[in-house]
Amino acid sequence: MNYNLLTYSIYLPIIAVIMVKVGWMFYTYGEVFLMHLFQHNSTLVKSVNNLLLTGYYLVNLGYAIITLAFWETIETLPQMLNTLSEHLGVIILGLALLHYNNVLLLNHLVKSKTLKL
Amino acid sequence: MENSKIIIGYLIYLPIVIVLTIYVSKMLFKNGKYFMLDIFKGKEDIALATNKLFEIGFYLINIGWALLILKITYRSTLGMSTQTLIEILSKKIGGFSIYLGVMLFVNLVFFFRGRRKSRQTYKTVTKTPVYNVRNEQ
Repeated sequence: MNYNLLTYSIYLPIIAVIMVKVGWMFYTYGEVFLMHLFQHNSTLVKSVNNLLLTGYYLVNLGYAIITLAFWETIETLPQMLNTLSEHLGVIILGLALLHYNNVLLLNHLVKSKTLKL
Repeated sequence: MENSKIIIGYLIYLPIVIVLTIYVSKMLFKNGKYFMLDIFKGKEDIALATNKLFEIGFYLINIGWALLILKITYRSTLGMSTQTLIEILSKKIGGFSIYLGVMLFVNLVFFFRGRRKSRQTYKTVTKTPVYNVRNEQ
């Protein structure tokens, strides 16, 4: 087993756990915002929320898996740690950026109440 | 030796892709039923039929696309290593997963647009008589 395969098998579980946890948190706390936006129509809110969660998982896990194809070859242990932390950092930072973007957007929508649905 | 690795790749790729498609479309159209009922204002037979037709279309497009991008091209005098196989598979499965996510959001946009359109027509129908009455007075 070479270093690349070892790195993949460390990388994938970490990223999967982080993404599933973050997605679940969005799901539970975002429901409150959606309830406000849809005038407490709970069946619709539930279905919208489920669909958003599925879309989030698909896109994010897909991105996390697709980046595997473009890694450099890893020869030493320090290099492995460097690459691992670099890729994890990029994805987690991207997630944070998306998260703040989402929070700002939802706040704006709830305040203005102009969502014509 | 090289060929057998490619076939192993196909055998891993196909079940993952098909299960993913079936799961996503079950999810989408179980939840899409409420939208359809809302759009067709409770006419249940038309709503369910439209939902089913959308679902069949979704299956056809996605499984067709998954089969189209199945082919693994790898030309080298050396045999394919496990690492190369994993990288190729990750590119294919990750790409398909992102594509499926985008399709899901496109469908969601269609649902919202249909819902808004049906509400708009409803509003204009109820508003016009009021406007006429005011003019006559």
